[in-house]
Amino acid sequence: MPLDITLAGIQMPTLLPIFVATAVIQILVDRLMSDGGIYNHVWHPGLFRTAIFVCLFTLPCLLIYR
Amino acid sequence: MRADNALLIWIKTFPWQRTLHEWFTVDAPVLIYMAKAILAALLALWISMKLNLPDPRTAIFTVFIVMQPQSGLVFSKSYYRVLGTMAGVGMSLVIMGMFAQDPMWFIAFFALWIGLTTAAGFKYRNFQFYGFVLAGYTLCIVALPVIETPLEIFDIAVSRFSEVIVGIMSATVISDVIFPRHLLDSLIASEQERFENVLSTLCDPKAVFANFDESNPAVSRFSSGVVGLDAVRINSSFESGSDQKERQHYAHLNHEYMNLSTTFHSLKSIVAAIKENEKNQLLEALERLYRPIASALKNRPDTVLTSEDLTHLLSKLLEAKAHVQEQYEKERLLFVDQDEFTSAAYLILRLLNELHNHCSTYLSLLKHRISGLASRELSRVVRFSTHTDNVLVALAALRGSGVLLLTMLFWILTGWPYATVTITMAVVIGLLLGTLPSPLDGVKDFFKGSLIALIVAALYDFYLIPAYTSDLLTLGLLLAPTLAFIGWMTTRPKLAIFSFGFVFMFMSQCALDPYYKIDPTKFLESSLAALIGVIFGGLAYLLVNFWSCSLTQQRVAKILRAQILRVCEGKLTVERSALESTGRDLVQQFSTQGRLNMRSSRLVFEWLLATLEIGRSILTIRRSIQRLYTHYRHPHIDSALESIQHYFKTPSEASKESLMIALKETISTLRSAKRPSETVQLKRFENLIVELSLIRTILHNSTTFPIIKEDSCH
Repeated sequence: MPLDITLAGIQMPTLLPIFVATAVIQILVDRLMSDGGIYNHVWHPGLFRTAIFVCLFTLPCLLIYR
Repeated sequence: MRADNALLIWIKTFPWQRTLHEWFTVDAPVLIYMAKAILAALLALWISMKLNLPDPRTAIFTVFIVMQPQSGLVFSKSYYRVLGTMAGVGMSLVIMGMFAQDPMWFIAFFALWIGLTTAAGFKYRNFQFYGFVLAGYTLCIVALPVIETPLEIFDIAVSRFSEVIVGIMSATVISDVIFPRHLLDSLIASEQERFENVLSTLCDPKAVFANFDESNPAVSRFSSGVVGLDAVRINSSFESGSDQKERQHYAHLNHEYMNLSTTFHSLKSIVAAIKENEKNQLLEALERLYRPIASALKNRPDTVLTSEDLTHLLSKLLEAKAHVQEQYEKERLLFVDQDEFTSAAYLILRLLNELHNHCSTYLSLLKHRISGLASRELSRVVRFSTHTDNVLVALAALRGSGVLLLTMLFWILTGWPYATVTITMAVVIGLLLGTLPSPLDGVKDFFKGSLIALIVAALYDFYLIPAYTSDLLTLGLLLAPTLAFIGWMTTRPKLAIFSFGFVFMFMSQCALDPYYKIDPTKFLESSLAALIGVIFGGLAYLLVNFWSCSLTQQRVAKILRAQILRVCEGKLTVERSALESTGRDLVQQFSTQGRLNMRSSRLVFEWLLATLEIGRSILTIRRSIQRLYTHYRHPHIDSALESIQHYFKTPSEASKESLMIALKETISTLRSAKRPSETVQLKRFENLIVELSLIRTILHNSTTFPIIKEDSCH
């Protein structure tokens, strides 16, 4: 994937749309996990949630900076 | 939280435990919060420098804007900040694309957008308000700096957006990962306190039967906090591990509390009227009726209630129900056909039922928190409805657009390049401080904060940064004390606006660019422009301010009357909870915005109670009529409802007279009419009588209604 992409005539770093997309996915995953009660079994829910987000965000980023 | 508790217990074994305990509960959270603020700000600075974003100040500024001690607040504020920034950035692209060459259209469209966002912000509660405000403010910071070079708009839009995202990410991650403090924990504490307050108020018969006593805190507190706790509940939904079911419990508790409080205050006002008329026999009968409730609540443990205590209490309340019912049947024979007795006894029974309900929901919450097994299935979703007065909204929009037009005029007349800073500042003041109880004092605080910040920023710009920084690490070390100071200020409620002004000015003037570039002329000119902007913002509050106590009273009275009328003719699907929450939200808003003094807010509260009680009665009557067999529906009832409607539409002494006559006739007709033989139908029929006599008692006894323009403002 390229470093920069052009969306509707605006050039921006590819990280930005990836970030927005990940944020949406994260919200859905978070909702699922909290309804499923996963957070009750986790020592530090905030850290766990952050870690999940980092994983989700860095996976596509690896494709850019490979 | 569990680790905290263990720590607290461990500390208790120390000799100087009290001091240490206090330090841990009071001072340590502040220190931790300060450390978190520094970390988040420096993280944002580091990331934006690494990513080569042109203006790292926006990122740090965002951190301090969204940073709050509790992580739920941070998430909720961040969420709306992102939405607001997106809308603002999008609008900037549109407005620059269309009107960059044409001042007239540009300014007109700009003013329209600011007015719209202010109005929309006013309509919403919590941080949703903040999202709209940000949408307006972002237009200023994106579009105005590039007005001379419109083609740069794309770059600045993308970079501002990225900086905001970086700031938000740093703040949310730090506050949720390092020593997180959850809103839900504070919610349970306040709910506990409120529940305890309810029980201790109700277990004392004096609270109901003694004269109204301003000094009795339990009674005057028995209505507060409804709107605030709902806001906390909503914000907590953003936290990690937040629990849908638990929040549902809180919503129910809040509604039950509202109902309880209304019933309690109605009962109290009827009792007060009975007392005034010196009907001692009736009063004693009511006291006898209330006694089982008080004795059921009396012997509860002093400590925080456990679920076992509560189960015990519930069974006692059930017993009390039977006692009260028994006593009621006995006393009823003594007071045949007395409206006051019927309605007061009905209210006592209702109070008991609602109390029982409230306790069992609370028990269910406790069980849910301990084992995850709620004892109560809460299927119904209760919504907290709000109501915002359109006059307030229009006023705010007028102020927002007005201040923009004024500063635009200033810009055009002076032709000063830094006037854009003035515009931004004035718009921020005009938008953000509008919801404060006294915006003018807020503006003064803001001004003081920005003055101090200018001095500090000058120290950094011209002395500290050029002399001591060589890389990011030294810059961070240098900044840390000031960031800690800002963090400390934000924990002091008294300094809220002062610190906001400080942050705003410091972050816009401090030399935190990727490469050091600062020039004294620019610094002085833009600071001056910003201060002028603050003054313009303050002027807007001074000029667009014809809101006064008596106007507020008029508006509230009008809206409450409209509510009764809506209940009379509108749809039957309106729930009591909607009626209650709307009314309370309305009064809360008017008491912060409308400058009510103690006496007039008491008056407004009484109006609210009368409205809620009458509205609820009308709804019940209409529903009962619908379900009653046709031959039991007396035409009198409809005419009584019509005369209520007529009275609240065109209030006058004459219409009140005819309303009272109509009510009296209807009640006596119903009392002498043939009763239905089926139990369900009979119950509905008796309900009608009870509700009608309740309305009559309220109308007869209440000293004040949302009708007569009373002057309690002076």
